[in-house]
Order: sequence, then structure tokens, then C-alpha cells
Amino acid sequence: MSKFIRLDMTTQKVKIEEVPEKYRALGGRALTSQFVLDEVPATCHPLGPKNKLIIAPGLLSGTSAPSSGRLSIGGKSPLTGGIKEANAGGITSQKLASLGIKAIVIEGKPEKGTFIARVTADSVEIIPADDLAGKGTYELTAILKERYNEKAGVICIGPAGEMKMLSAGITNNDPEGNSSRYAGRGGLGAVMGSKGLKAIVVECDKTFDAPVKDKERFKTAARKFADILLKHPVCGEGLPKFGTNVLMNIINEAGTLPTRNFRTGRFDAAGEVSGEKLAEVAVARGGKATHACHPGCVMRCSNVYPMPDGKVCAPIEYETAWCFGPNLEISDLDVVAKLNYICNDVGLDTIEAGCTLGVLMEAGVIPFGDGQAAIKALEEVVKGTPLGRIIGAGAAVAGKVYGVTRVPAVKGQSIPAYDPRSCRGNGVTYATTPMGADHTAGYAVTANILKVGGYVDPNKDDGQIELSRNLQVATAAVDATGLCLFVAFAVLDNEEGLPTIVEMLNAQYGTELTVEDVTALGQQILKNEREFNAKAGFTKADDRLPEFFYEEELTPHKTKFALKEELDEVFNF
Amino acid sequence: MLLEVRLYSGLEKYVENAQYGKPIQVELPEGATVKQLLDKLGIPQEQVFSVLVNGTHYNCSDVMEDGDRVALFPPVGGG
Ligand code: SF4
Repeated sequence: MSKFIRLDMTTQKVKIEEVPEKYRALGGRALTSQFVLDEVPATCHPLGPKNKLIIAPGLLSGTSAPSSGRLSIGGKSPLTGGIKEANAGGITSQKLASLGIKAIVIEGKPEKGTFIARVTADSVEIIPADDLAGKGTYELTAILKERYNEKAGVICIGPAGEMKMLSAGITNNDPEGNSSRYAGRGGLGAVMGSKGLKAIVVECDKTFDAPVKDKERFKTAARKFADILLKHPVCGEGLPKFGTNVLMNIINEAGTLPTRNFRTGRFDAAGEVSGEKLAEVAVARGGKATHACHPGCVMRCSNVYPMPDGKVCAPIEYETAWCFGPNLEISDLDVVAKLNYICNDVGLDTIEAGCTLGVLMEAGVIPFGDGQAAIKALEEVVKGTPLGRIIGAGAAVAGKVYGVTRVPAVKGQSIPAYDPRSCRGNGVTYATTPMGADHTAGYAVTANILKVGGYVDPNKDDGQIELSRNLQVATAAVDATGLCLFVAFAVLDNEEGLPTIVEMLNAQYGTELTVEDVTALGQQILKNEREFNAKAGFTKADDRLPEFFYEEELTPHKTKFALKEELDEVFNF
Repeated sequence: MLLEVRLYSGLEKYVENAQYGKPIQVELPEGATVKQLLDKLGIPQEQVFSVLVNGTHYNCSDVMEDGDRVALFPPVGGG
């Protein structure tokens, strides 16, 4: 039977409930966003007792559906002040689903103290853990695995979350125990920290044990879906060979690689921090150019990068390589890896940290291109010094503190690795998604740059609104299933993709969903999220890009962003 | 005409001594197409997924100009 687990942090009592009727057909982002809309007052303080954190595996997690082990975490974001769903890989989603857990809800707030929760097949308990306060995520994960169960999945926060920094993330571990699979964006780590919860240990030796109604039918559909993924050039070839960071060179060549805090669209030394270089160095040092963040992923976009100090950074994703590389004019992959590792350990979202360092460089606090200065600055975070806290508070706050106008952020969340002026479909997504600037919410890079799912000229306005709208709807639905968003490359190009996802859902739940139902689900998710944000005080004015994108030309294409009122058409469904 | 060509993500293996991202100079007659460039380099057309000329997508039949910056990619993706 599937269940809801409520951790009341005010009393440290656990309540296990049957899943309320309303939520039975929901999972992943569909569940977290509906729940946050229903149970979190939109005007509450994100770090106060009324905010709630909800952790939910996707609908297909814990089955043999390929690449389906994604976890959604929702709540009110302290970074944006709006609703948030942050999505992570790692091994915990499949374990939760295999235990029949629909969601873990964390509510209330203790007077003081640090706690962990332990979840097994037979029991759930909240345990005082003051001895673990202040620990970095790598050490914490190792301790908890040793203390309870070597095979456990550990969902946890680092010191940044405990210090309630606005861009703290929540992580969980990969199969090797690296605590690097982040639900990174929007500061949900600070929410977990505000509730005194340092970690959730999920013990379950099973990975693919989620209940499936019609096993044979499911198996056939899952096989077909794996085949669709493997046959697609990006999912079956591109991603497994070089991982996400293979994007570095093509985005650079396309002239939309944000460089020097979004000043230009090309970085001469991009190749030095690209996926090709990463694969070369990783393999030469005994690491891996390809790796799966959870069992059953066939696209294996991840990597294992051994650092000169003997530690391992796994993975270095494109977004991270960009924000610490070209964005700061740093061309040394070891520096990028070190900055990435520090973020993973202290518990910060890498994109936000990279953009914040960019703003500090803009302000002249540290020089552009100075990797050692960037490392030193980021090391302040764990110490909780004023500079460390400014960095942990994100780009928008840092910009205000230092009087910087060139701050790449929407709704307080910083913009990722594609300049909106020469990848305008993504610009539409950054401006309008309820999440604050987020590339994954409607990844128009597909049609703008990668020529997947059609082609829409990235330097023109035509077609961008519609492109972003369709992608945002589809993405919301995919985020409900627990499938990795990267399946979208294949699904966009193969008309059997979506029906096969629907077939898996129907076989698992005994439902009779149609493709139209799934689209409607995606739309409903976005409507819920927009409703929450409206109640929290967001207006059309929040659906715009920062001024400088409208005023300053981006080289090499000499483009400005121009869409304004048109952006209000994105959600006209 | 002279083109500045960059090969990426494994396509460099088709050209002797080429390294990914390192520009190579290629001489072609005026009005040459992308297809002619691939033939000259000996890169099978089906291996090439994206052709960016000065940052803009080109098709195999499109004509290039002297001094163009050309980048060739197999299927790539991420996010
Ligand atoms: S494609 Fe990458 S991020 Fe997605 S599930 Fe697989 S390894 Fe994880």
C-alpha cells in the first residue's frame, strides 16, 4: 500500500497516513506542486514553521522503466519567494518507491537541535543527531551509511542548509555514495535546515520493487521505451559518450555561451573546460567519462572526475562547468572541479554559486579569471563569514549588497548556461517559468541549437513563445513521471515516445490515460504553480528578464532580447 | 577560399593530426558547399549532425564564404 509519511519537526513525531484520495494519481512534480498549493500558505515565511517540504519519487520510479529514478522536492522557495520543485537523480527515489512511499512531508519547526530521520520497511523514526551538526555532505553520508546501512540512500543538507542560506540545496547519493545528486535550485536546503533536519536515511535493498499492476504489459512497454532512447542519436550516442558537458563547444560555437558574467557569447578557452577535455583527463586519471546516477539509466550522462588532491568529483555537469568556467573566465578544469566539490560538500546549488561569483567579480571583489581567488571566496561559505553568507545568499542578494546592476537572475534565481539573447526560446522560459530562471523548465536549446524536435532560429523571436509553452507543459508532465528530462530528446523526435510513456503508466497503475491526459496534467501543474505564485504576490512584472538583456548587445550575433508583453501569452491555455 | 574549420566530439578522428576544437585551415573553390567540405575532409555525412557557420546552422547544400568559421558536430545534447 502506498503511504504518506509526515515528519512533524515541532514535536519530532512521525505520522504515517494512507495517501489522500486527491493525490493517488499524482507523483513527482505533479504531487509536490499540488501539495504545496494545498498545504503551504503562499505568504508564509519560507523558513518559518508554516512552510512544508515534500519529497516525492516520480510515478514510474522504482520500476524497470529506463532512467526513471528521479526525485522531486517541493516547498516554498526562500530564494524566489515562490513555489519550487527541484529535481534530482541519485538512488533514493527508487528506494522510496520500492518501500511504497508516495511522499515524505517535513513540517513544523523544532525549538532547537539537529535531527535525522531513519526510514526502513518497518519503521520511521526521528533521531536527535547534534553530533552531526556542521558536517559536510560527503562525510555525513559516509557516517550514516556506516552507522545504519551501507546500501542506504541518504538525503541530506550541508552546513549551507543548516545556516539557512538562500541557495542551499538538498542532495542525495549516487550508487558509489557520492553525495552529489542535488535537488539544487531555489534554496530548499535552507528549508530543510530551518526544520532542524540534517538527513533522511532511506534503507531498502530493493531498487525495482514498486508495485506494478500488469507486469507483462509493463515490461513490453519499458523495453520499447529503452529502445526508443537508445535509437535516438542524442540519448543513445551523444549523452553516453561525453555527458552533458559535450554542450560546451556547441553552445560556444553557436555564440550563446554566457562569458564574463553574461558580457559576451563566446569564450576562447571553452574547449579547456569542455566534455571532450573532461573525458580525456578523467580517463587518463582512472576516472570515468560515462556513469549512471542511478541503476537503470540507459543514457548514463554522468562522469567521474578524479581531482589532483585525490578526491573525486562525480559528476561535473555542463551547467557547473559553465558557471565556474566561461562565466568567470576560468579555463582550468581542476579549478572547476574543486569549486564544484566545495559546493557539493557545503551544500550549495552550483549554478547559483557560479553566478554569484560572477557578480562578485563584476563588483571587483575578486578578479575575473582568478581561480584561486574564487576557491578562497567559496571556502568562506562553510565558515559562515559575512562574505560566505553573501555568496550563499545568491546572485540577486550579492548584486544588491555590492550595487551591481548586471545581475543575471529572474524571480531572484540566477540564469543558467545559455544566453537568452541568442537562445531566445530559453529566454522565454527563464522569464516565465514559475520556478525562477531555470533551463530545465522548458529547454528550448533543443530546437534553438541542437536541432532536436524541429528548428527555431535562436536569434529571432518567431516561434519562441509557442516553443517554450509546449516544452514547459511537456516538462512538467515528464517531471511527474520520474523520468529523467533527457528522455525528452528522444520523445520530441519520435512520435511513439509519449504514447509509450502513457502505456507504462497505464500498465503500472491500471489506468486508462491518454496522451491528451498527460498534456492536461502538464498544464494543470503549471496552473497550480502559477496560482501559488500569484497568491504569493507575483505579477506579470516578475515574468521579465533583467534590464541589461534588453539594452546591451551580445556578440557575436549582436542580438538583444526584445520580448516583453508577448511573454504574457505563454500561459494562455 | 580559405575556411577556418573546427571538429568536435569525435569527428576529429576522421582527419589526420586534427584535435578537437583546434582550428584547421581548409582551402576550397569559391562557392563551395558544406557537402564539399565534408567530402574534402573525408567525414561521412551521416556522422555530422550540426554544422555551425559563424554560429548559424547550415545545411549540407548551403554555400560558404571566404574566412567563414565552420564547426562540425556529431549528435550532442545535455542540459
Ligand atoms: S541521463 Fe544522466 S541525469 Fe539523467 S538519469 Fe541518467 S545519469 Fe542521471
